[in-house]
Amino acid sequence: MNTFEGLLYGLSVATQPTVLFYCFVGVFLGTFIGVLPGVGALAAISLLLPVTYYIQPEAALVMLAGVYYGAQYGGSIAAILLRLPGTPQSAVTAIEGYPLARQGRAGLALFSAMSGSFIGSMLGILILVLFAPLLAKIGTKFGAAEYASMMLLGLVAASTVGATSPAKSMAMVVVGMILGCIGTDVNSGAMRFTFGQTALLDGVNLVALAMGLFGISEVISNIRGSDERKLREKVGLREMLKERRELRRIIFPAIRGTGLGAFFGALPGTGGVIATFISYATERKVTRTPERFGNGAVEGVAGPEAANNSGAITAFIPTLTLGIPGDVVMALMLGAMIIHGIQPGPLMLVERPEMFWGLIASFGIGNLFLLVLNLPLIGIWVALLRIPFSLLYPAIVVFVCIGVYSVRGSTFDVYSVVVIGAAGYALSLMKFNPALLLLGFVLGPLIETNLRRALLLSRGDLLVFFERPISAGFMAAIIALILWGLFTSIRSRRGGSAPASVTESGD
Amino acid sequence: MKRDYFDLWGGALLALCGVAVAAYSVNHYEFGELRRIGPGFFPAVLGGVLACLGLAIAVPAFLRRGTREEVALKEGLFILVAVVAFALLVERAGVLLTTLIVVLIATVPATRPGWIWRIGVAVAVALITWLIFILGLGMTLPVLPRGL
Repeated sequence: MNTFEGLLYGLSVATQPTVLFYCFVGVFLGTFIGVLPGVGALAAISLLLPVTYYIQPEAALVMLAGVYYGAQYGGSIAAILLRLPGTPQSAVTAIEGYPLARQGRAGLALFSAMSGSFIGSMLGILILVLFAPLLAKIGTKFGAAEYASMMLLGLVAASTVGATSPAKSMAMVVVGMILGCIGTDVNSGAMRFTFGQTALLDGVNLVALAMGLFGISEVISNIRGSDERKLREKVGLREMLKERRELRRIIFPAIRGTGLGAFFGALPGTGGVIATFISYATERKVTRTPERFGNGAVEGVAGPEAANNSGAITAFIPTLTLGIPGDVVMALMLGAMIIHGIQPGPLMLVERPEMFWGLIASFGIGNLFLLVLNLPLIGIWVALLRIPFSLLYPAIVVFVCIGVYSVRGSTFDVYSVVVIGAAGYALSLMKFNPALLLLGFVLGPLIETNLRRALLLSRGDLLVFFERPISAGFMAAIIALILWGLFTSIRSRRGGSAPASVTESGD
Repeated sequence: MKRDYFDLWGGALLALCGVAVAAYSVNHYEFGELRRIGPGFFPAVLGGVLACLGLAIAVPAFLRRGTREEVALKEGLFILVAVVAFALLVERAGVLLTTLIVVLIATVPATRPGWIWRIGVAVAVALITWLIFILGLGMTLPVLPRGL
């Protein structure tokens, strides 16, 4: 099946009424969650994970993906109108978007964000379609050594690139990997760290972990002072369409942002947040009038928005073609696929073409839905910002409980949410990033299995990771990143002015 | 002497956990050799790495001034108690009654006080829960208290 046939086939899957319906539900919920500050795409996807047991796999994954990229759209609305980023990726959007809104030009800011997002997503899909089959072909040549070193690279990159404290980030990854060891060891059958609890034989429940870390802990830290923010601006479709002539100022920043987002999105471990910061810095550098930046420059809205949306799409490239999740949301998606009996990886393209191409085609359809949701229906989302958090969070708590309980009807899992939620809140107080813990949790067991297999094949020769060319490249990158992390943390301790801390407000 | 107590204790705790994990795995699980790695190898190595990272976090924090974070103790307590209540009640009292109780506990720290408001939220959430999970998704959960 060539790319064109694949896309046509994908469209036939994605336009089935049920799939179409869940695609709409996904992008709608995604926007909803993205708009609400304090509840991220991660919390939403973990909440929906148990729900997907009840619907067909294609529809389930299309919906979860829709939540993810839909949240990227929604996040910019709260960022622009309230300077409260609904998602970490939209933190940069607030820098230029909020001043525009204060000047009474919220319509222009929202229009730039929406067109930037749409351009970024659509070009991102194009890049995904072109590169994914290629990468899948390379992926078939990967052995255990390559998988182990690439996943390790992903974890090291996630904890060093753009992190304020590489030691703290790495510690989170390692804690996640240790939690991943809990349960029956697949290679030897040994029961590790179960302490006689039969409920732990299958390991810590992914849904319970995600909900405790993101649902419960976010609710706890957001209750206080959550209802103090006020919204004054009135924005509707008319205010946005009035600005359509600004499109020519938006298009080139959006294309540059797309490129950056696509690159960082596809690179395991880095993700959209970094891409938005680099895109913003780039726009400030290439403009002829840098003095406008900080007071509402549309380029500074459109570029980063394109970057985070294209990154959200291209993040699927390593996930689908290699089975290696690039970021935490992808780790959850990977978990969801495995729950539904789909093993993402180089063979997915051949074995489950309906899933692969259907998902890609649904991205296009979902983004068209988002355009409709965000232009004519913008008023709904703006009104949503007026709902007080104290009305929302009790529902979130109940949904978390039901979601976790329904996975396998076990109250043990609900109790573990209590422990994980408390730990998650403590970690966020100490400025640890719980997202990295989850990434380590998902990748840890995969790394262990591949590491053991690689060493078994090489008869205990550690050099196998350096002798095979692809693996050697990954190992070199890992060493470079660790050295760089050491270098920056030592320099920032001495000088205090760390240039690498651009993403400080983003985590 | 000002210190970054959050990082100091956090790092120390992580280092301790790392040592504990490494020691437990070495004592309880087969370590194996490089040719055939045993189940104890990976957690032991991870525990060691965590111990080092914990020290790397704690030691510099000893020499640095930290910021005070406001701890949402009341909020945390009531939310966690609400989740415990769910776990205790759901199989005995059914989803509807459990939801009402969970919401009433969870709304104690809400910024908008008042019994009428809280009962209103509880009823609304119970209704939405029933609509989405029981009616919409057809989940097989006990709806009403056992015996009814």
